[in-house]
Amino acid sequence: MSGQVTEQRVALELNEEHCGNCSICSSLCPFEAIRRDAETGKTFLDIEKCQVCGICYSACPAKAIDIIYYDSGSLLKYLERAKQEYDSDTLVIMCKGSSPDFMGVERLFGVSKFIPLSVPCVGRISEEIFLKAIVMGINKIYVLACDEDYCRFERGSPITERRILALDLLLEQLGYGKEVIILKRNSLKVKVDTNMCIACGNCVFYCPYDAAKLESPGVVSFDLDSCRGCGLCVAMCPALALDLENWERERISTLISQLSAEMKPPKILVFRCQWAVFRPVDEKSVPNIRFIDLPCASRVDLSHILEAFQQGIDGVLVAACAEEDCKQERASGKAQHSVTVLRERLSQIGFQDRLHFCFVAPRYPEEFDNEVEQFGQKIGAFGSKERK
Amino acid sequence: MIVTAQKPLDEVLDFISPYSNILIAGCDGCTQPPRGLREAKTLSQLLELGGRLRNKNFNFKVVTAAKQCDSYLTASMLKPQIEGVDTVLSLACGIGVQTIAELFPELPVFPAQNTHFMGAEEREAGTLEERCSACGDCILAVSGGICPVTRCAKGLLNGACGGARNGKCEMDPAKDCAWELIFQRLEKQDKLDLLREFRPPRNYQLRAWRLTV
Repeated sequence: MSGQVTEQRVALELNEEHCGNCSICSSLCPFEAIRRDAETGKTFLDIEKCQVCGICYSACPAKAIDIIYYDSGSLLKYLERAKQEYDSDTLVIMCKGSSPDFMGVERLFGVSKFIPLSVPCVGRISEEIFLKAIVMGINKIYVLACDEDYCRFERGSPITERRILALDLLLEQLGYGKEVIILKRNSLKVKVDTNMCIACGNCVFYCPYDAAKLESPGVVSFDLDSCRGCGLCVAMCPALALDLENWERERISTLISQLSAEMKPPKILVFRCQWAVFRPVDEKSVPNIRFIDLPCASRVDLSHILEAFQQGIDGVLVAACAEEDCKQERASGKAQHSVTVLRERLSQIGFQDRLHFCFVAPRYPEEFDNEVEQFGQKIGAFGSKERK
Repeated sequence: MIVTAQKPLDEVLDFISPYSNILIAGCDGCTQPPRGLREAKTLSQLLELGGRLRNKNFNFKVVTAAKQCDSYLTASMLKPQIEGVDTVLSLACGIGVQTIAELFPELPVFPAQNTHFMGAEEREAGTLEERCSACGDCILAVSGGICPVTRCAKGLLNGACGGARNGKCEMDPAKDCAWELIFQRLEKQDKLDLLREFRPPRNYQLRAWRLTV
């Protein structure tokens, strides 16, 4: 297997020819994936540690870093196209880690018409993108970053804040007016319906951050400062008393029905952790495959998987981060366990092969594509057998 | 808590196949994980998918009771839902199933669980282990808080039997010898003299016939 891995395409590359060994990237990398060799003084990349946050890419003054996802070229192309498509001169850049649905954005910023740009960490958006967007005719940019303590890439959110401060000053001096770029922070939180809570304590056990408290007598309460919005407790609550703000169970159910209706057989629905799979801003859609991005694979609700089958979806794939890459603590392993248990139950009615779980990482872009392709072939084969 | 396991879906499908309108009743009580609203919904989804393979369409309603062994609470939750229902599928232990059967004598009531024992959960390992046999004559006070009636394969009151090897039971080497555990516990508490006392055979009449307390 390791032989295969070395030949794989990687998401981030350091171009030694352009690198001036200035150390900016290695000082910003939250994962010590880019370091400077003490002896040679050369900068090097340890891709196994890289989480593809893109902070180094956005900060490199020599453009010595190549990145596959959300590089400046594709972002600008997207902006030009989206400006026409959404017919708006307001841009909203959202970190996936803190993004509510579009309705939520309306509430947060009080804007109804805007160009959405959702990225894994706004820390990867360089000054260049902001300025070029303004040159393009965009006159207001709202940035939705994660609350500082909740940034999955540790430094992305603070870097964004500094960038926006500097950019706003610059734009004001250039005569673009005050506060062209506005920063807001948000983070996803659990919400509890105390009427439904049965005080079983499952959430207290599962919460990786000790946010759930259950004192007798009473129902559960959450310390929202500790909650990091992974949704594990929501998926584990036997009483359906918990939900994740802006990622409500109902909302995901509606999405499943909508997606199923627009798909062509063999229908494949992919629940993917938004940290495990990064997609191009202009992801092409295939008629038989649809994706639902979740804040963490542990938010995958088993009832949503079953709903998908009930809606006539032929195969469900769950893509999670490997446990050592999990942006939440211990959560992706729990997701795997839940899916395994469900598969066991599905095997009793012959559905087990229609559900597949895989660990993938954005650092190897082909990993996910291969999983989808292989699973698609398997499900396609079922379909043709059934038609016969 | 009472430990139950899900019945195979095929068995449950066999139960409900003659019927169309099915009420699945969860129980929020002492089973772990609680077979509450989520499990009731999940089971309805699995049975619907399983029913399709048998060309059978079911209409499910799901409800949950705080504890199905409480007939008053169970009646208050189920009665408003019962109209038009052909059968009830209970997610509770055997006690809950019987409570519902008594409440609605005209309706067939089926268990969706197999009831195993009274036990405790080891959360990290995710295992459930039997801890109490409801013998009606508790000796935990003198056995260091470890129940030999349940955890000794021979149910000895005056152990150990001498058959244990390396602290493991001769009947099942995967299990600890309960009497060795009792010895260690009492040793820590400096109460080993409790083991010198002879304990007469248990009063099996306490378990021989259904009791009301």
